[in-house]
Amino acid sequence: MNKTLLGYVPNESPIYAVHPFVKLFFLLVVSLFPMFVSAPDWNIGLVLVIIIFMWISRVNMKTLKIYVPVAISMGTIIFLSYTVLGGTHPEFELLARVWGVNFYWERVRDALVVYFRVLPMIFTMVFFLSTSRERDIIVAMRSVKIPFVVTYVFAMALRSAGMVLEDFQIVRQAEQARGFDPAGKSLPYKIRQYVMYMVPLFALSLRRSEEFTNALVARGYAFTGKFSKVKRADYILTHYSYKNFDYVFISLISIAFVALLIFRYGFGYFLVEQSWLMRILREALS
Amino acid sequence: MSNVIEINDYSWKYINTKIPAIENINLSIKEGSFVGIIGPNGAGKTTLAYSMDGLIPGQYNGVKKGTVEVFGTEVENFAKGELQQLVGVVFSDPEAQFTAMTVEDELVFGMENIGLSVPEIKERLDWAIELTDLSHLLMKPPYEISGGQKQRVALAAVLAMRPKILILDEPTSMLDPVSRGRIFEVLAKLKAEENNTIIVIEHSLENLVPLADEMMLMVDGALLLQDKTQSFFQQSKMLLEKGVYPPGAMHFFHELQMKNYYQGKLPLTVTEGIDLLREITGS
Amino acid sequence: MTEYKSYIEVVNLDFEYPDGTQALKEINLEIKKGEFIALIGQNGSGKTTLSKCLNGLYKPTAGDIVVDGLNSKDSSIVQMVKRVGYVFQNPDHQLFNNNCWDEIAYGPRNIQLSAEEVEERVNEAIQVVGLPKFYHSEHPFFLSKGLRQRVAIASILALRPHVIIVDEPTTGQDTKQSLEIMDFLKDLNEKHGHTIIIITHDMPIVGRYARRVIAMAQARIMADGPTREVFTQSEVLEKTFLAPPQITQLAQADPSLGFDPRTLTVEEMVEQFLEIKGE
Repeated sequence: MNKTLLGYVPNESPIYAVHPFVKLFFLLVVSLFPMFVSAPDWNIGLVLVIIIFMWISRVNMKTLKIYVPVAISMGTIIFLSYTVLGGTHPEFELLARVWGVNFYWERVRDALVVYFRVLPMIFTMVFFLSTSRERDIIVAMRSVKIPFVVTYVFAMALRSAGMVLEDFQIVRQAEQARGFDPAGKSLPYKIRQYVMYMVPLFALSLRRSEEFTNALVARGYAFTGKFSKVKRADYILTHYSYKNFDYVFISLISIAFVALLIFRYGFGYFLVEQSWLMRILREALS
Repeated sequence: MSNVIEINDYSWKYINTKIPAIENINLSIKEGSFVGIIGPNGAGKTTLAYSMDGLIPGQYNGVKKGTVEVFGTEVENFAKGELQQLVGVVFSDPEAQFTAMTVEDELVFGMENIGLSVPEIKERLDWAIELTDLSHLLMKPPYEISGGQKQRVALAAVLAMRPKILILDEPTSMLDPVSRGRIFEVLAKLKAEENNTIIVIEHSLENLVPLADEMMLMVDGALLLQDKTQSFFQQSKMLLEKGVYPPGAMHFFHELQMKNYYQGKLPLTVTEGIDLLREITGS
Repeated sequence: MTEYKSYIEVVNLDFEYPDGTQALKEINLEIKKGEFIALIGQNGSGKTTLSKCLNGLYKPTAGDIVVDGLNSKDSSIVQMVKRVGYVFQNPDHQLFNNNCWDEIAYGPRNIQLSAEEVEERVNEAIQVVGLPKFYHSEHPFFLSKGLRQRVAIASILALRPHVIIVDEPTTGQDTKQSLEIMDFLKDLNEKHGHTIIIITHDMPIVGRYARRVIAMAQARIMADGPTREVFTQSEVLEKTFLAPPQITQLAQADPSLGFDPRTLTVEEMVEQFLEIKGE
C-alpha cells in the first residue's frame, strides 16, 4: 500500500503510471469546469465521472463515507444562506412561507446551482489528494519549473504538519497524565486549556528550527550568494518520464475544456434554464 | 600529513551570555585522523564543532577572538556554501535533519545544492547507499522509518557530498544501542576505506574509543587534554575527576593501575579486556 | 524490611493500536510497593506502550490492569494518574506554563484541589526535587535539560502518585548528570518509598540502580527478575538486542577465571580481583 495524502492506495493502482504533472493538470483544469456550468445535472454527472476515476484508481471507496457529513452540512449551510438569509427581488416566485420566512424559487435554484458547482470542485481535490503522495506534488510543481524555493517551502510545510500532528498527540497525552480531564467543564475552560497546547508545540518547533537551519546550511544550501544560483540537477525528475498516454490525457483534458467553453459560449449549453432536473423540481414544488 | 584544521587562541562568546562558551583553544587536526571529543554537557564541544564548519560565526551572533583555519583558509573567508563542501556535519536530532519527502530525495538534496550533474549524483548515491545499507529504504518517507534509520540517512546524505572532513555532533545520543552500533559500523568502514578526517563528539565512549586515533577533553570551555587515545586514557584519574567515565573494561584496569596491581596498556574494547584479564589472573 | 504487597497486577494484557499494530502480547506481571524496576528493550519493543497502559493513558484491548485495587478499564484517567505518574522522555512535551511554579501547580489545579493544598503540594515537590528558588519564576523553556527534567518530575510528584515511571532519564545527559538524576530517583525510592520504574537502554545505569529488570522484545516480556539474574541470561538478552554492561561482560567472559557472572559494577569487579589475588 502506498500512503497518499488522504489515505492508502494499493501498489498496483494504474494511477501511479501517470505522470504527476498530469494529475496536477487534471486538478487545475477540471476544477474550472463547474465554473462554466450552471446546470446541476451536468455537475452531478461530473461528480459521478470523478467517482468512477477514483474507483478505477483503486482508491479505497470507504474513505468517501467520511465526506458525507461534510457534504450534508455544507449543503445545509448553502441552502440556508441563500433562502433564509438571501435577499428578495420583486419578480421572485414565492414557493412557501415557513415560520415567517419566505422561500423563493429563485433562491432555492441558486442554492442548488452553487452547491452542485462546489461539489465537483471538492471531489476533484479529494481525487487528487487521494492519489498523490507528497512526492508527486513536488514533482508536479518542479516539472512546470516552479522555483525550487517555493516547492521546498511547500514540502517543508507538509513535513512540519506531520511532525506537529505527532507532537500534538504526545502533548495531549502529557496533559492527561497531569490530570487534565475536559469532561464536564465549561467551554471557556476547555478553550483556555486547548490553547495551552500551543506552548509546548511552539517550544518544540523553536528548538527544531535552529537545528533545521543548521542542517540546511551544513548541506550546502546557500540562501544568498554565488552558490544560491546553482543550477539544480532535479534528480527526482529522472524517475518520471512522460509516456504517450500522458500526452493523450493532457490533450483530452485540454480538448474537453475547450469544447466546454465552445458549447457554453457558442451554443449556450449547460445553462440552468435548460436543466431538466430543475424543470422537474420546479414542477414538483409548485 | 598536513593539518586540515588549525585553531589558534580561539575564543567564542555567544551574544546573549556573559562569559565565553570556549576560550583560548589551540589545536590542530591532521588529515585522515579520527578524533573523539568528549566532556560534560555545556563544555563547549558543540560550539567547537560548529566553529570548524563555519556555522559559527555564520549562523550565530557573538564575539570571536583568534583564528579557525580549515585547509589553510580562515573560516570566515570562504564564500557562502563553499566551506560546506569541504566539511560535513551530522547533528544529534534525526528528526530535525530530515528535510525532504523521501530518503532518496534527502540523499540527493545536498548534491543538488552543490550543482552536481545527474550522472555524478547517481554514482555518489550508489556509493553512499552501499556504505550505509539504505537501499531498501530509498522510497520511504520520513515518518515511516525509525530514528536510527533517519540518522543513517543523515550520515549518508552528508557523505554523498564527499566532504574531506566529517564532523558528527553526538550522532547517537537519541538512538538505541543497536542503531548506535550501526552508525559506528559505518564510521569504521569509512575509516578503513576512505581518507576522510573524522571528528566525533560523543558520550558513548564504548563505541568511540576503539575507533579514535586521538581524543580531546573539553571542560567548562577549555581544552584540557589532547592526546593519542591510549595515553589519553592513562590519565583516567583526571577524567574521572572531571566527570568523564571511561568504558567499563578500561575503567576496571585503570582502577587496578591506581592500586598498583597493573602496569601497561588499557584495553580499548571488551575483547582486549578479556585477554588482559586472562593474562593478569595468571590463567 | 518493608511489608510488600502487590500494588499493580497485570493479567494477560494485549494492546493493539487503531492502525492494527500489536504493541503488547500476553503481558503478565506484578509490581509490589517499593520496587525499583528497569524496563528495557529496543525501540518499538513495547516499553512505552506498557507504561502508558499502566497509568491509564491507554486502555487494554484485552486483559486487565489493576492498580491499587482499581481496574483501569473501569476507572477514569484522573483516578489512574493519581496513582501512577509518567514523566515523558522529552520535557518539552509537557511544559505548558510560563514559569516553573505554575508548571508544578498545573497538575494539582487540574484535579481541583484548594489553593492552600496546591501551594502545599508544589512546595513539597520543589523541596524533594531540589529546585533553587531562583528558578521558580523562570520560564521552563530556558532551563538546561537536567533542570527541565526536574521540573517535569516535580510536576508529576505534585500529584502524589505512588508509582513514578520515568521515560529515558539519562538520554542526552552526560555521566555526571545521569548519576545525579538516578541518585535522585534512588532517594525517592529509598527515602520516600515510591515505586520507581525507569525505561531505558543504558545498561550500566540499570546495573547500578535497578533491583529488578523487565526485558521486552516484540511486544512480549522476555525476562523478568532481579538484575543480577537477568544479566546472566544471555540468550534472552540477545533477543532484546541489548548487552549487559561492559564490566558484566568482562566478568562473564571466561568462567574459569573465577569472577562472578552476576557482577554489576567496576567496584565489585575490583573487590573480586583483590580476593582472587589473595589480598
